[in-house]
Amino acid sequence: MGEVSGSRGGTREGGNGDDTRRRERLLARAFVRLADTLAGEFDIVEFLQSLSADSVEIIGAEAASVMLANARGELRLVASSEERMRLLELFEIQSAQGPCLDAFDTGQAVQASGAECRARWPVFALRASESGFHALCAVPMRAHADTIGALNLFRGSDQPFSDAELEIARAMAQVATIALTQERAIRERSMLAEQLQAALRSRIVIEQAKGMLAEHLSTTVDEAFQLLNKYARDHNRRLGEVARDVVNRKIPHDALAWQPGTS
Amino acid sequence: MAREDERRERIVTAVTAGGVTTRVDELMQRLCLFAVTELAASGSTLALIVGDELLGTLAGAGQHSSMITDLQFELGEGPCLEAFASGSPVLLPDLADGAARWPVFTAAATRPGARAEFCFPLGVGATCIGVFDLYRDAPGMLSEDQLADALVAAGIARDALLYLQDPPGHPGVAALLDMAGMDRIVVHQATGMIAVQLDATPADALARLRAAAFQSGRSIYDIAQDVVERRVRFDG
Repeated sequence: MGEVSGSRGGTREGGNGDDTRRRERLLARAFVRLADTLAGEFDIVEFLQSLSADSVEIIGAEAASVMLANARGELRLVASSEERMRLLELFEIQSAQGPCLDAFDTGQAVQASGAECRARWPVFALRASESGFHALCAVPMRAHADTIGALNLFRGSDQPFSDAELEIARAMAQVATIALTQERAIRERSMLAEQLQAALRSRIVIEQAKGMLAEHLSTTVDEAFQLLNKYARDHNRRLGEVARDVVNRKIPHDALAWQPGTS
Repeated sequence: MAREDERRERIVTAVTAGGVTTRVDELMQRLCLFAVTELAASGSTLALIVGDELLGTLAGAGQHSSMITDLQFELGEGPCLEAFASGSPVLLPDLADGAARWPVFTAAATRPGARAEFCFPLGVGATCIGVFDLYRDAPGMLSEDQLADALVAAGIARDALLYLQDPPGHPGVAALLDMAGMDRIVVHQATGMIAVQLDATPADALARLRAAAFQSGRSIYDIAQDVVERRVRFDG
C-alpha cells in the first residue's frame, strides 16, 4: 500500500486524499452514465468506450478494453481505450491465450506482471511487452451464473495491480454488466412492443378498410371482408397490408370490386 | 433498484396468490383487483390503445370499472389519451382540476361519481400499447407507496402483455380482443364508411363521428351502428 503505481504515475492508494476524491468523482460519473442506460436512448458501444477510458483513469492503467462473448460463446472486442490495445486484443483472441480469456473461462479475476506474464502466457506476453505493456489484468463480467465478457487493464510499468485496484476494476465490470443486461432487456421489450403495436394497429385498419369498401362498393361489411381476403389471396399479400393500402387509398377501391367469373 | 425488485416481487406474489397463471386475461383481471384492494382505487381498467383509439378493455374491477376509461375514447379527450401520447403517467388527485383541459370528459366523468384519476401508460421507450387507469370516488392523491406500487403493477401488466402475446395453450392478446372488444369494431367500420362519404382521412372521419355523438347526446357505438346499417349518413 502507499506505493506509486503505473507509468501515468501519481496514483496513490490510501494517503493521498485528492486522488481518492478524484477516483470517487470518476466512479460517480460512470454511475451517472449508467443511469442514462435506464432511460432507453443510448448507445452501448459508446458507453463501453467511455467506461474503458474511465477505468484507465480511475484504476491507473495505461489502456483498457471490454470483450464480450457472442451467441456462440466466442469473445470479441467491443471497446478499447486506444488503438494499440485493440490490435493486441485481436491478437489475444487469435492466439487463444491471455488474461482476458482466462478471466472469461474461469470467471475469476486474473493479474500478472513481468516474468509471471511470460510464464503464464508466453506467446501473448511477448507481444504485449512489444506493445509496451508489462502488467496485465482482467476481471470477468458476470451476470448471475453466466460470464458474459471481461474488462481488461494493461499497465506500462511492471507494477502489479493492487487488491484495491482490482476491487475497483470489479466494480467497473459490474457497471458494464448492468448496462449490457439493461440494454438487452430494453431492446427485447421494444421489439415485442412494436410487434404487438403493429398487430393491434392492423386490427383497426382492417375494420376501417371493411367500412371503406362497404361504402364505396355498396356491400355489407362482411362482403367487404371477403373481398379484402380474396384480393390478398389473389395478390399473395398479407391481409393487414392490403387493408392499409385500401385505407390510405393506394389500392383503388374499384380494384377490389367483385368481378363475375373470377372467383 | 433493490427496493423496486422487492416491490415487484411483493406485487407478483399478491397477484399470483390464487395460483400462477399464464392467461393474459386472468392476469390483467388480478392486477385490476389489486388496484382496488391494495391501492384504494374505486375502480380500475387495463386498456389497449392504438393512436388515439381504444382497441378494447382487457379487464376491469370495482365501480363503473371500464366506463370512465371508455368515455375518454368516446369523447376523444381525457387523461388516458394524454398518458398514452406523452408516455408519462397523468395524476389527477382532483378531477375538477382537469376541467380546463378536458371540459367535456371532466363533466361526464364526475356525473357517475369519479373524483380522482391516475393513468399509467404501458410503454417501452416511444412505443406505447395501452394504459392502466385507476379512479377514485373521492379526491385525494395516491400515497407515495401506492404510487410506486401502481407504477410497478403497470410494468407487470406491460410485460405480461408483451411476453404473453401468443401464449401456447391459451388465448393470446388478439383473441382476447375478439372476446372483449366486439363493441369497438363497429366504430372502426363506421369510421371507414364516413371517410368515403366525406372523402376524408380516417382520423377526420372519427373526429366527425365523435362530434356527432357529442351533439346528439347518444353513444358513439349507437351512431356507429346506425352508420354501418345505413340508417345515418354523413354526406347528406
